[in-house]
Amino acid sequence: MIEADELFKLYRMGDSIVRALDGVSLHVQAGEFVSITGASGSGKSTLMHILGCLDRPTRGAYRLRGQLLNNMGDSQLASVRNKHIGFVFQTFNLIQRTLAVDNVAVPLVYGRMSETRRAAMAALDKVGLAHRAKHRPNELSGGERQRVAIARAIVNNPSLILADEPTGNLDTRTGEQIMEIFRSLNATGTTIILVTHEMDVAVQARRIVRMRDGKIVTDEMLDEARRAALLSETVSVG
Amino acid sequence: MFFLRICLMAGRSLQANLMRSILACLGVIIGVAAVVSAMAILEGSSRDMISRIETLGADQVFVLNGTSEREGGRAVAQMSLTPEDSEALANLSSVITAVPESARAAQIKYFEKNQSIQLLATNENYTIVNDYKSIRGRVLTSNDVIGGRKYCVLGYKVAEKLFGDTPAVGMRVRIEGMGFDVIGVMEKKGFLGTRDVDTQVIIPVTTGLERLFGTKYVQMIAVQAIDSSDLDGTMQEVKRCLRREHNIRAGKGDDFQIITREQVTSNVKDMISLFAIVLYSIAGISLVVGGIGIMNIMLVSVTERTKEIGVRMAVGARRLDILVQFVIEAGVISVLGGALGVLLGYAFTDLLENVTQILKTYMTTRGISWALGMAIATGLLSGIYPAYRASALDPVEALRYE
Repeated sequence: MIEADELFKLYRMGDSIVRALDGVSLHVQAGEFVSITGASGSGKSTLMHILGCLDRPTRGAYRLRGQLLNNMGDSQLASVRNKHIGFVFQTFNLIQRTLAVDNVAVPLVYGRMSETRRAAMAALDKVGLAHRAKHRPNELSGGERQRVAIARAIVNNPSLILADEPTGNLDTRTGEQIMEIFRSLNATGTTIILVTHEMDVAVQARRIVRMRDGKIVTDEMLDEARRAALLSETVSVG
Repeated sequence: MFFLRICLMAGRSLQANLMRSILACLGVIIGVAAVVSAMAILEGSSRDMISRIETLGADQVFVLNGTSEREGGRAVAQMSLTPEDSEALANLSSVITAVPESARAAQIKYFEKNQSIQLLATNENYTIVNDYKSIRGRVLTSNDVIGGRKYCVLGYKVAEKLFGDTPAVGMRVRIEGMGFDVIGVMEKKGFLGTRDVDTQVIIPVTTGLERLFGTKYVQMIAVQAIDSSDLDGTMQEVKRCLRREHNIRAGKGDDFQIITREQVTSNVKDMISLFAIVLYSIAGISLVVGGIGIMNIMLVSVTERTKEIGVRMAVGARRLDILVQFVIEAGVISVLGGALGVLLGYAFTDLLENVTQILKTYMTTRGISWALGMAIATGLLSGIYPAYRASALDPVEALRYE
């Protein structure tokens, strides 16, 4: 699914060069559930932007579904995002004063699909919000807004979902519900990459990638024992 | 299909920021209303003036005083026409009759009642040529003119205002301090040429000229031709006659000019198109201001919706999609503004016509489509730059924008 090799992302900041990504290689199989975690400034967001085709690496090769993306133009990347990738953001990023169902339908419109309403309703139904379809974002709770955002992310049946701190603005219980939705999406075969700095969220994935200073420091599969160990590690540090 | 959906989305975001959309529309509304009103006023007054000119006989030629070039190139009037010229012209073979006319603004007084009028000094043929009849008393006769009598014939409104229901004929009035006997009251007629003859008072040209106009020259001689299909022949004969009367030697220019109704019409049209340039420039400027208003609001909107643009890009909007979407938003503003502007312009011209009672307005579909077309073009043009700014955003930066 994802083959990223030796990715570099360099920024010039005044006289110095910032290495946001410093030789990152990451391979993800279809159907995996991966957490990328690390402190702010570790490069996890930059990595997510590149994996999500919102940004290009300065150096390195990135293949999504076997397709090399380095040399693609803006509109080709837009089309890849539209068809194969679903984004979920920390601040939900719904379009204000627009009905939930219309928010969900936005990717379909840009994908030149017909029957957008029906598909949008089906996606809302999958996150259990069909009954709130005619509400505007400001009439929905935080958890509901994030579920609408997830419905928007899955409406095109993407093979990859990228979630950037999806529970960051939610209370623990609502966050749990959102994670439950991700798990069930993953169970039906969708690849999920979750970017978070919260260890208790990160350990819910089946694989955890830890980053620091633009590099991957650990990349491991999780079992129950390792989960417990990672959690206690964070608690003792925190 | 995609285009329709994009239009729907544009409509939704305009609706979501209703107040701002209305403000953006306002400039276009006012601009279009200005253009529409300008067109309606122009069309109305030009139709009005031309229809007045059409009341002049098609079988007439009009002799006016000449102009001569002084040094410095400024044209000055060269008074040359006399009532005697009129007599001479009336005797020409291709001419039925000739009417000298001099008009000025004047005051008429009947006891303590005072009235502003148009004073016309002419001869007995004026009423005949124009098929203009009296309803009380009589019109001027050749005896009145030859005798230089102090008689006057009142226009319909003049008589109404000065005398009301009491009889006017036989009464004595004062015009510019000179006593005249009223011998008749004319029928209600409206415009003859460029004058409202209902507010006019007619006196013999022999009585009026020297004392009331301070000159022995008349302003115009209207000549009625026998054959309206050969006005050119009549004009030639008139020209030869007047050159002889004025003792103009061969090689010297005329000290008069001869025009037909068609020439008067085309002169008026020239004047109107000059007026049109001025009026349209002003209306056009207000439309440009409207366009700047749209651009301003669209730029604010793009900045404010940076994050939304980032989200749209993240879910697959191409740069072109974003561009088209914002241009359409500007387009919708201008179409709505244009439509409301037409309505406002319509209401405004209607009001103008009713309040002034003089100004005539006329709406044409051609004028309305022009105004609408210009509004839409303005909207799209002023939408392009903000839309380009939106489409050129970097998706990562846009998503990060707070």
